[in-house]
Amino acid sequence: MEVRELTCIVCPVGCRARVRVEGGRAVGWEGLECRAGEEYVKREVELPLRDFFTVVRVKGGGVVPVRSTGPIPRERLLEASRELAGLEVEGPVRVGEVLVRNLLGMGVDVVATGEVEG
Amino acid sequence: MRMEREVELVVVGGGAAGLAAALRAREEGVGEVWVLDRNERAGGILPQCIHTGFGLHYFGENLTGPEYIHRFVKRARERGIVLKLETMVLELTPEREVRAVNAQDGLLKLRAGAVILAMGCRERPRGSLLIPGGRPAGIFTAGTAQRLLDVEGLLPGREVVILGSGDVGLIMARRFVMEGIRVRAVVEQLPYPGGLTRNVVQCLEDFGIPLLLRSTVTCIHGRERVEGVTVAEVDGEGRPVPGTERRIPCDTLVLSVGLIPENELSEGAGILLDGRTGGPVVDEFMRTSLEGVFACGNVVTVFDLVDHVTLTGERAGEAAARYLRGELSPPRRMREVEPGENVRLVVPQRIAEEGPVTLYLRVSRPLREVRVEVGGRSFLRKAVRPPEMVTLTLEGEEVRELGERVPVRVEGLPLER
Amino acid sequence: MRLEEFWERVRADPSFSGVSLRLRVEEGTVFLEGETESWEQVVELGHLAAGLEGVRGVVNRLWPRGLPRAERRREPKERAPWDGSRVDVVVVGAGIVGAAIARELSRYELEVALVEKEEDVGWGQSKGGASWVHGFAGLDADPDSLKARLCVEGNAMYDRWAEELDFPFRRPGLLAVVRQEELLPFLEEVAELVRRHGCPVRVVGREELRRMEPGLPEEAVAALFFPTYGVVAPYTVTVALVENAVANGVRLLLGTEVVGVRVEGGRVRGVVTDRGEILCSFLVNAAGLYADEVAEMAGSPEFTIHPRKGEMLLVDWKRAGACLHNLAPAELKEDPYTKGGGISLTVDGNLLWGPTAQEVPHKEDTDTTREGMEKVWERFSPFLPSIRRSDVITAFAGVRAATYTEDFHIAPSKKVRGMVNVGGIQSPGITSAPAIARRVVELLREEGLVLREKPSFNPRRRAIPRFKELGEREKEELLVRDRRYGHVICRCEHVTEGEVVEAIRRGATTLDGVKFRTRAGMGRCQGGFCTPHLLRLLSRELGRPVEEITKKGGRSRVVVGRIKEPLLEG
Repeated sequence: MEVRELTCIVCPVGCRARVRVEGGRAVGWEGLECRAGEEYVKREVELPLRDFFTVVRVKGGGVVPVRSTGPIPRERLLEASRELAGLEVEGPVRVGEVLVRNLLGMGVDVVATGEVEG
Repeated sequence: MRMEREVELVVVGGGAAGLAAALRAREEGVGEVWVLDRNERAGGILPQCIHTGFGLHYFGENLTGPEYIHRFVKRARERGIVLKLETMVLELTPEREVRAVNAQDGLLKLRAGAVILAMGCRERPRGSLLIPGGRPAGIFTAGTAQRLLDVEGLLPGREVVILGSGDVGLIMARRFVMEGIRVRAVVEQLPYPGGLTRNVVQCLEDFGIPLLLRSTVTCIHGRERVEGVTVAEVDGEGRPVPGTERRIPCDTLVLSVGLIPENELSEGAGILLDGRTGGPVVDEFMRTSLEGVFACGNVVTVFDLVDHVTLTGERAGEAAARYLRGELSPPRRMREVEPGENVRLVVPQRIAEEGPVTLYLRVSRPLREVRVEVGGRSFLRKAVRPPEMVTLTLEGEEVRELGERVPVRVEGLPLER
Repeated sequence: MRLEEFWERVRADPSFSGVSLRLRVEEGTVFLEGETESWEQVVELGHLAAGLEGVRGVVNRLWPRGLPRAERRREPKERAPWDGSRVDVVVVGAGIVGAAIARELSRYELEVALVEKEEDVGWGQSKGGASWVHGFAGLDADPDSLKARLCVEGNAMYDRWAEELDFPFRRPGLLAVVRQEELLPFLEEVAELVRRHGCPVRVVGREELRRMEPGLPEEAVAALFFPTYGVVAPYTVTVALVENAVANGVRLLLGTEVVGVRVEGGRVRGVVTDRGEILCSFLVNAAGLYADEVAEMAGSPEFTIHPRKGEMLLVDWKRAGACLHNLAPAELKEDPYTKGGGISLTVDGNLLWGPTAQEVPHKEDTDTTREGMEKVWERFSPFLPSIRRSDVITAFAGVRAATYTEDFHIAPSKKVRGMVNVGGIQSPGITSAPAIARRVVELLREEGLVLREKPSFNPRRRAIPRFKELGEREKEELLVRDRRYGHVICRCEHVTEGEVVEAIRRGATTLDGVKFRTRAGMGRCQGGFCTPHLLRLLSRELGRPVEEITKKGGRSRVVVGRIKEPLLEG
């Protein structure tokens, strides 16, 4: 069993929680003041997810911003970034256009969030 | 090469505030709306803010900056708003003549029925902080580093120290790590971080980036390119404590040490500015002290959320439309909002009428068990921090009860992390 | 002072403890060798030795024990196509002095090469200096000294220079402000001393002072007013001089460092640079901070430069109305080697405060320091109480090339015929530059250089148009000529693409080169907005990848590569 310290981000109080973790699950905690905080802390300990966004190179120079269509595990953020490092797209690209399907088999796509002219 | 004409409504700045103002004015029936922007595309700062967190309030969605602003840019095109890009406004006269220049039209002299100022803000540079040391290449403000990386696709550096833990710096810390650029530390002068807790967690803690509080950069090393910085702890007055210096090797120093509303044009026109915000004194209709001139967004004060920027833009657009129709009566009885204890700034600084008013306030230090007092009214909050603005809405009757002076103060217990 | 007295003083003074010193005098030059405990001792001894009778130059090789020498990196370079060619005169150093000399020489039928080690001109002292065109060399200077005479001569020549070379120049005058009542009775006396330099001055009483300078504090009781004091942007003058020199046939070699001087039969034959050799019959050593080293390369060391750092603060031009004249404190001073600095107007409206004066061992030490910047603020803010800290937009530092005699060393080399040393040009170097150039040409003539006037010489040079300063009609005309003057790149100074492209065409290859020629990046946002745009323009106009563009040459790349490279490298 280990004890992890986390900052809750649900509200400006920013409670500093100490969570007892066993087998990858939150089994007890202290320092939290509300239910929403408990929910957040549980998720963060068990399976922290993060929005993934980066930029992708455009042929001819420049970059276009992209994001994943859903959050991905925090632990795989850098992997996702490396996965897209070699990608080069060609205009035209519309906002929302899918550039990569099922990124790293995680069930999310990568879509453009900006435009590229043709 | 010149263009001289009358334009019903001129909006200076095509970022979040300017576009929102232009769109709302158009919706309210203003025939001719011109938006002038100095960049090569509209959107202001948002196209380079590629992270999420935008639009949670306004759209009820979690969007990236580019996605957020795209909706406004698209709508602006569809609604026939004239967008003049790579156009620099050089001067605004008190008679509402907007003087600008671009390569297509040459010198522009636009006599505006109404003007909405939406120039946003700029970053505080190293020079004004007087950080000792050399003047090598490799020193960037966070926004410039962001533009180089996420618009131009260029690497500002490979090993970075970030001075200032404001949100822009924290956001860039994460971007750097995601691009394989090493972030040695984020250095913050105050005893607490300058940005949102969410960003401290998701930009620093997630990546194991050290946050050095109560510290500052006391020297920049390197003659041609940055070779390192010396960091030291500071005392209560921000002065370096001798003996606490240590050197951190790096090739880049990124500064996130303050945003300053860009009000050269406002000053030039003789518009009254608020020393606390650095922006024009405005009322709830976003009117400045110059007739027919409104201001919205970060040029008024640096907001925390773009959603608020959009709302102030819409308010300005709506008021400008009413003004152009002759329906905005001159202010009768101006109530002056007075920032008091624990309040760093409040906008609007004046209340002209007796309809509902939304106040945006920044506290000067983190507090919990908070009571915000506006005139005689109290509002309770669990906790407040400087990076997060406190938004208060007063209904008509509540406004009517206010006196000529509206003191705003915040009471609470110290909040530690 | 005689030698015995010198040794007495050195032995008696406890501040010289720990010094091991060897001294010899040879034909008017005193050579100091040995070790000390501190840099202060090196400078003190140098100054002391300068007072020896019959000594006209001090070569000071003393060095503090254990103090590392400055690292000087030399990149290997390719041989240039001009390697082995011959010219009449080589001028080493394209600072304001070297540039002025080259321009003077370009009046004559001569092949002249102007050799500069940096990637652009004026990057030594000329860009790190203040903006003063002094009326005189200061009360501590002997009116008969070279610097005192050349200062007054040079000052008078500036109007013509400014007109011919099209650079901004103004004469706001200087008010040396008195705050201490005790000094009032001495003002006329001081004024007389000033007049002995040939510098006009008059005493101004309280009433008139208040009218002339309303921003002064209550304590200001009187002042000395010097009407001939002017302001200029030294790097702008340097660029103008070089452009005119080149237009008149001077060959400018940038990024070319002199590493040796060829002397045969007691006569200069050529210079050896890191890109090749140039044969010449005459050599002008105007190498600023490194002039002592060039003299040494020729086998005739005659002076040593001891660097004296000066830090300055720059106040936003939006506070330009705060003062109408240059201001300086009229007070009893501690340091006799510096005029004390002041508050200077500049040609672009900013206020320049400083400089400080601090002896430093390393010529490249242009770091600003907390103490230095604080000192400037504390010394000068009492004179303009309306200026706040937040009005300061940046600070910078330069290093003066001072000799131990604290005077200019402008003379033919003792041992090498055909070579003229122009060393120790510290303040009032900028002011004296026109007069120095004239004098050096005279000295070259005396050394045997034949001067035949060139009928095609054109003294006039046109500056890059400054969009921000043009009237409406002029702006329109400019836009018709070139639309790019309508695309503003620098938000703070309203510098346009037209100006930037022209600066690049005229020789700027770096961010600083563009900055110094156009002012882009010098405003209150200090390049925050324009840097990405300037990079793109430099890359486009020079046909180089953006990653290769530097701030100031050498290794000062602005961006280190392209995005994704670190991720792909693994």
